[in-house]
Amino acid sequence: MIRYHPGLLLCLPLALSAGEVRQHTDPDTGLLSWQVHEPGFSMQLLQLLPDYVRATYIARGLPPDLVEAVAGYCVFGTIVTNDSQQQLSYRVADWRYVTADGKAHPLKTKTQWVSEWKERGVAFRWSMLPDDQTFEPGDWSQGFTTIALPPGSTFDLVYSWRYRGETHEGKLEGLRCAPAELPDA
Amino acid sequence: MRLLNCRMPERRRCLVLLCAVLLPVGLVQAQLPVPELNHQLTQLATPVAAPDFILKDMDDESHSLSSYRGKVVMVNFWATWCPPCRRELPSMEALYQTFKDDAFTVLAINQWESPDHVFAYMGQLDVEPSFPILFDRDSAVSQLYGVKGLPTTVLIDRRGRVVYRAVGGRDFNHPEVRAIIRGLIDADVTESSATPSR
Repeated sequence: MIRYHPGLLLCLPLALSAGEVRQHTDPDTGLLSWQVHEPGFSMQLLQLLPDYVRATYIARGLPPDLVEAVAGYCVFGTIVTNDSQQQLSYRVADWRYVTADGKAHPLKTKTQWVSEWKERGVAFRWSMLPDDQTFEPGDWSQGFTTIALPPGSTFDLVYSWRYRGETHEGKLEGLRCAPAELPDA
Repeated sequence: MRLLNCRMPERRRCLVLLCAVLLPVGLVQAQLPVPELNHQLTQLATPVAAPDFILKDMDDESHSLSSYRGKVVMVNFWATWCPPCRRELPSMEALYQTFKDDAFTVLAINQWESPDHVFAYMGQLDVEPSFPILFDRDSAVSQLYGVKGLPTTVLIDRRGRVVYRAVGGRDFNHPEVRAIIRGLIDADVTESSATPSR
């Protein structure tokens, strides 16, 4: 992990390596999860099956078309943590996913989802990872992050956070969306 | 409904759906190596007046925050599908048991869900909370408190001011948290003329 510096990133893209990354495969389901530790900041991502996402929002009472809208995304269970003893903040709107063609795309944020739900008269505003948070020591959050890619797609995630008055950036390479469904046992 | 039409070739898919509907969302997320619950609470540099609210409990009885003036109040925003909410709940109950006979209470404010749903959920717990569970069906109160994610917890002193805050699950039954509560109970005795009304 290096401190964010646009010029440096252009010249030395390989220097934008992620922090300490661990990948885990669930022995029962084969689903993947990733954990990255950066200075002051850590993040965990877990593949979620579309059917699991469907069930989550069906249980919350969202209309079927809104449920399908979320389930059509590549969804990860996400935990972000302030591991430091100082204030730390992040903004999902600053994060990008990079597809195989090298193009960077914004993630769909909680604010965008909640806005769509609100237009349909649904006041539910939970479950998605909060867009932006300022964490004090000990604070952490858990929620869904959504990426507009089909099941099984691979991509890199560029994420950032502010810590000690500076913006830091990291990159998780080779992330993969959950499959459409679990293979038959 | 597809949940009720699970044929054998779809068994595994149905299992995922069924589990997710019947059990908290934490079921799949729980496979993550979730962070240990810490006990850090953030003291606000400047205490702010806690917005008043009136919410109903499981028995349809109304509770207003102002009726607890004179007590230290831990307000916890939570939901049944929130894994860290479930994890921190036993420590909140232990804290409540420690201080409930002093000027202290816990108000657990559920987000969005129905009393029937929460009642069923309580039956699954090893430790059932004995403090009031209140229902913020439209999340209006959580918005008043600027809550962005669940769980979020605030500590309100005996003068009705938010003095501590924690975002994310905590181990509230930690000596340092108990010392904070004790300090708030004792410190405000001479500062507050209010008498606990509950």
